[in-house]
Amino acid sequence: MTLTAPAPEAATTGSAPDEGGHGKAGRDFGPIRWLPRAVVYLLLAIWLLVLIPGSEVYAPFAADAVIYAIVALSLNIIIGYTGQLSLGHQGFFGIGAFAAAYSLTVRGVPFALTFVIAILVAAGFALLLGIAALRITGLYLALITLVFGLTLEGSLFEVQEFTNSGAGQPADRPEFLFDDGRFYLFCLAFLAVAFYLDWRLTKSKTGRALLALKENERVAEAFGINVTTFKLLAFVLSGGLAGLAGALYAYRVGNVVGSDFGFFLALTFVLMTVVGGLGNRIGVILGGTLFAVLDYLLEGPLNFLERGFVTGGSALGFNVNNLEQYDVAFIGALGLLLTLVFNPGGIAQQNKPFFDWLAGKRFSLHGDKDSGPASVEGSSVRA
Amino acid sequence: MVTPLAFEFSSRIVTPVVSGAINGAVYGLLGLGIVLLYKGNRIFNFAQAEFGAVAAFACYAGLTGFGFIPKVPYPIAAIFGVAVAVLVALGTERLVIRPLFSQPKVTLVVATAGVALLIIAATGFLFGAEGVTLDPVFQGPAFTSGGLRVTKQGLVIVFVLIVLALASALFFSRTRTGTAILAVSMEPTATSLVGISVNKISALTWGFAGLLGGVAGILFAGNSGVLGPGVLTALALIPAFTAAVFGGITSLPGAFLGGVVIGVVQALGARNIPESVVPSANQVVVFLILLTVLLVRPAGLLGKET
Repeated sequence: MTLTAPAPEAATTGSAPDEGGHGKAGRDFGPIRWLPRAVVYLLLAIWLLVLIPGSEVYAPFAADAVIYAIVALSLNIIIGYTGQLSLGHQGFFGIGAFAAAYSLTVRGVPFALTFVIAILVAAGFALLLGIAALRITGLYLALITLVFGLTLEGSLFEVQEFTNSGAGQPADRPEFLFDDGRFYLFCLAFLAVAFYLDWRLTKSKTGRALLALKENERVAEAFGINVTTFKLLAFVLSGGLAGLAGALYAYRVGNVVGSDFGFFLALTFVLMTVVGGLGNRIGVILGGTLFAVLDYLLEGPLNFLERGFVTGGSALGFNVNNLEQYDVAFIGALGLLLTLVFNPGGIAQQNKPFFDWLAGKRFSLHGDKDSGPASVEGSSVRA
Repeated sequence: MVTPLAFEFSSRIVTPVVSGAINGAVYGLLGLGIVLLYKGNRIFNFAQAEFGAVAAFACYAGLTGFGFIPKVPYPIAAIFGVAVAVLVALGTERLVIRPLFSQPKVTLVVATAGVALLIIAATGFLFGAEGVTLDPVFQGPAFTSGGLRVTKQGLVIVFVLIVLALASALFFSRTRTGTAILAVSMEPTATSLVGISVNKISALTWGFAGLLGGVAGILFAGNSGVLGPGVLTALALIPAFTAAVFGGITSLPGAFLGGVVIGVVQALGARNIPESVVPSANQVVVFLILLTVLLVRPAGLLGKET
């Protein structure tokens, strides 16, 4: 299994001197070391693969979480790896959703093929935007992607042909996926594939080239990296992945409406990626999951937050009664700002000791905090 | 009297040009704030339109006696609104921008988008998703001829924009504080070495941007009538950015000019391109202008720096 397999991770052992008593800061071996980890992995697997699909209440939320996690991985390629900001990712997401629903319902394309179409169409749009991104960088790119997403929402997603004259394009799942639990597992399989591909990408020459682009384009070019190709590649990969997530979303909700893909969604995508921890695969997946289920959490376990708001508001003479629509946005935005100001590495950085332990390292609360090529966005850009 | 052709011309060309120019003046006003913050901090402030929304909502609260806020006449409510916007802008600078000052600019931009979302959610909590109606400063039309109708509010908007644009242009070229702001934007370290407080200048810039945004918000909401959470960002932020970029992101008169041009082109597009051909033509037009400017002349119309 991957628990004890010694992967070549020499780069992350930079902070050994201050903990001399602990011995070597490498990996743990021996049954006492790996048994607790095995138990954690086993419990996690049971929870993800047996308990959640079996629950009628949680399965739909879990499917949402998985879809958001795929989007977070997609956005992580652009923001986390190449360091460019995209505020229009809901556009690719929506394109994927509409492409899948339209090809399935109107054109009668087989179910499996609709995913290919969704990925290709979204990747195609990403390529077009990427070509513009070659000349437009930094803040201007953020602006142009924002306008791109908003324009799609207002124009393409309102075309009568795609939207079934405004009523929304239906996307019915095939029979074997009617069950929400099964559909969740279906999405989870896609996430696993995306996760694996993303992991391989960062370990490959291409991945290192993308990271080099983020640090310094000119230096990267001087080392023989073709900036144009890799930038476009990042956009196409990211767009395709978002398109895939969009297709899954279409089948999740069953009816695709253009107004689903607004500015709010674009911001939510960026928020969850940043809060998760830019450049960190597990972190962004957790961030996506958190934001997907936040609505649910605020209804149940975190209901006291809402009651606090209402009581506080009425004490000041305000009638606060619109919480359901805005609580996710409010807490998400607050979480983003707190993350940026106090904890730029996000969830990933906060829980690093635990993740490191799971990955087979010794548990240490003051380990190598800022190591790794992309653990903190811009950690090396403070000139 | 009025021939069909003349009527057609009036309704398809003249009316959109006039109403577009008035809307465009608001875009220009928001654009001024965006340009100011770009000059000061080298960032794009995605919360600029929400500063306006804060002012408009606070003005509405003052007009209607909302919560613990007493009911006051329009001028006081408007001043109250702008003051709240300035406070929010100052708070943004102190709590969000300053701690992140040494971070990459992209991080700062994400942070301003977060501020925008926070304000949208907060106004949504207090005022509801369906929104409220803010009265214009002056009711009624200033003059009408044929199909053309110009409201008093429209004239006020244009007047305020011209005054504020001239004032800020003079401020940056003639006063010591104005040149200090420019100096900080060019070289913060050297500026603090010659005895200018970078922090004070930064706060000043944001406060001024909050003021511009607040005035724009109250005028825009009064003109269009609708005021809901996120409405200003949805309707005015992108045109304002396009205006700023069109005029050259560092040029104050450019933002003014850009705003009017964007407003007019948008109104013409919305009136003359049928919805069945291009849905939401007003948005598509703005996107095309922005893309063209960025690809063909990134320095903009009046911009000198690239």
